[in-house]
Amino acid sequence: MRNLKNLHLAAILAIAALMLLLPVQDASAQSKDKDDNYGNTPSEMLPYGNYQDAYIYHFHEPQLFTGAGREKKEPTGLTEVRIGVLAPLSGNVMAPQGNQMLQGAMLAAEEANALGGYKGLPFKIMPHNDVGLWGAAANEVVKMSDEGAWAILGTIDDVNSHVAIRVALKLEIPVVNCGDPDPTFTETNIPWVIRVIGDDRQSSYALVDYIHRQKEHKRVAVLRANNRYGRVGVMEFRDAALRIGYPLVLEIRHNDGETSFTSQLERVRNSNPDAVLLWGNALEMGLIVNQMKEMGMDYPIYASDRSVNPLFIEIAGENANGIITTCQYNPKGDSPKLKAFQENYKKQFGIEPDVFAAHAYDGMNMIIQSIHMVGMNKALIRDKLTDLKTFQGYEGITGEIFLDPAWNDIGRIWMAEIKDGDYIFSPAIWKYE
Amino acid sequence: MKKTWIIAGLGLLMTLMLQATEPDGKKTSTMPEYGKWETFTTKNGLPANKIYCVRADGDRVWIGTSHGLVLYENDEFRTFTVEDGLAHPGVLSLDVSELTGDVWIGTLGGMNRYSGGQFTTFTQFNSGLANDVIYSVVCDGKDVWCATGGGAGHYNTYTEEWAIYTERNAPMHEPWTYSVCAGDNKVFIAAWGGGVIEYQNETGSFRDYIDPDGEMEIDLFPDDGVVHDITTAVSHANGILWVATYFGLSRYDGTHWKGYFDHDSGLSSNFINFVKANGDVAFFCTDEGLTSFNSEEWITYKTTETGGERVYWKDGNSSTKTDATGIAHNFTIGVDFQGDHIWVATSYGLSRGTRIN
Repeated sequence: MRNLKNLHLAAILAIAALMLLLPVQDASAQSKDKDDNYGNTPSEMLPYGNYQDAYIYHFHEPQLFTGAGREKKEPTGLTEVRIGVLAPLSGNVMAPQGNQMLQGAMLAAEEANALGGYKGLPFKIMPHNDVGLWGAAANEVVKMSDEGAWAILGTIDDVNSHVAIRVALKLEIPVVNCGDPDPTFTETNIPWVIRVIGDDRQSSYALVDYIHRQKEHKRVAVLRANNRYGRVGVMEFRDAALRIGYPLVLEIRHNDGETSFTSQLERVRNSNPDAVLLWGNALEMGLIVNQMKEMGMDYPIYASDRSVNPLFIEIAGENANGIITTCQYNPKGDSPKLKAFQENYKKQFGIEPDVFAAHAYDGMNMIIQSIHMVGMNKALIRDKLTDLKTFQGYEGITGEIFLDPAWNDIGRIWMAEIKDGDYIFSPAIWKYE
Repeated sequence: MKKTWIIAGLGLLMTLMLQATEPDGKKTSTMPEYGKWETFTTKNGLPANKIYCVRADGDRVWIGTSHGLVLYENDEFRTFTVEDGLAHPGVLSLDVSELTGDVWIGTLGGMNRYSGGQFTTFTQFNSGLANDVIYSVVCDGKDVWCATGGGAGHYNTYTEEWAIYTERNAPMHEPWTYSVCAGDNKVFIAAWGGGVIEYQNETGSFRDYIDPDGEMEIDLFPDDGVVHDITTAVSHANGILWVATYFGLSRYDGTHWKGYFDHDSGLSSNFINFVKANGDVAFFCTDEGLTSFNSEEWITYKTTETGGERVYWKDGNSSTKTDATGIAHNFTIGVDFQGDHIWVATSYGLSRGTRIN
């Protein structure tokens, strides 16, 4: 019996010793504070959140840039401070918006120059069209770097913005995006990129709340553009709706430039929805709204942010009444800075500024302020833009900008309802948290 | 009873001795170790301190910098510029054809072939290149593959025919490609946002490897596939495919995937710029040093204020050795091997290390 006890003890000792050899790596999933979900994601909408904790949750800490460059001295002998603007400027359906973006940036630079520029040097906007040969954005970013740009503002189309930031990473040039709502844009972990406009993740959460919780729709059909804007934007809406129990009854596509949507709308009707969500460009969405009315389809209509566009109202006319959409800011806000911007912009360019002009103005001002703070050094400009202190809560004309650790603007999203050819804005309220 | 205690005690002693010696890495490992680091910068004749890539070529070494292509030969640096025929001063990638000895150069403004002392330039305008920014180039027999922002390019040097692979004719989510490597009669493409695309030379067919969870903000299971769809580099050797991302590392043996992260392995950082396997050992250029891994143990090389250090990691145990010298900068971008030497491209200078074990 005693032998048995000793054997037992010896065995325990040996096992304990062996355990020292076993892998003791910290293979546990990274801990994550549930109250601090990435991207303002409601806990019930976390991917797999109802079933399984993930092994790793990304974007809870900013990705540092540890490379060289901060030691470079400011160059002498320059006659201007160049800043690149990448935008669709011609040859593309988004060219009007791209030109608004450029004009918003130009206005910010001109105002800075009127105050003396940077140490007496004027800021010079270097515009580049991102529409052209395949992957043109990549070549344009190289050109901007070659011509001495200290930072880049842009662009709108996510196909081009993704291409641009990969080159920017190689060239180590800061990029401030003010027009691409693709959530994956900042989910690339490139530590040279910030975004100062709300993304489709934020817009989708606002829409899901409004459509399913506030309006209590249960069967939503989606008609979206057959492009990356439509695909990625709807992806966030679809996932969020599904996770709270409302799978889409239909998701169907149309092409840019398409003018007849009869076949798609017949399928929408056959899916028996109680609401329809459109996600595309202003032109096609306007035409779709008209054809829905012609076909006697009186479903409540919701639309993506690109419907906040005079073109949409112009095409859809009275048919647009009652349509609800989101917008990344409130252009009817009463901020004096916003009013002054709108007045100056109209005086200079002869049109009302759109959402891209307004966010470009804010983004360019942030670049300019960074240069004022640290001088002409790309790594230091990057540091300022990304430190999550200097510009955290920055009060731009588009409202307060709050960057998450992925440097994505998670500031307020606005709902916009169309009434008699005008947009009525109200802050989005997520009720389910 | 006494015998039992002796056996148990001996077992304990051996176990503890084994554990004590393993982190050292020398007594039980064939892992190569490097030291005696030399650093080369503009002071030594390089045209820039930003080194994008390095490629050993026999006794010579080709170096891609932000301001030109450099040939290191007979202890001297010779710089080639746009005036010499280089497509763009920014040289992002390099490879040397084993068949011809030609040097293929991926730049920010097109691709060059350096052959017989002459540069030939390929761009979107004069060839089938998908885009002029060439992130990666690899020679695979008569074929040259490149990764560009507009898709993967394939050039048959015999027929002089080009092919472009994008989301339209390959299983990519997007056309953006970042890295390419060859091995086992296959070509592997790191597709930004699309995981890894495998091209089989024999059949001309593709297959893709993506992160099964389909989400950018998480990795649900570390060993279920590529750890993230944003892939930055690939390397294949001895039947193992190594996949680098800005979110961790993946290893694929043809059957099983295994994910590694900085919190559960010896990987110095999840932000991996480049990977290159040399036999069974893979080297990862991260923003926190150069890490090597032979599927069992890890060594990371770093520079410090007083020189350098080697950080060993195995089974959760780590130890550090200090060295008089270290790599030029901890932000590492490229690596290659030349006999007992290792060359490392960094954010500030080029390093050469010598094998010390």
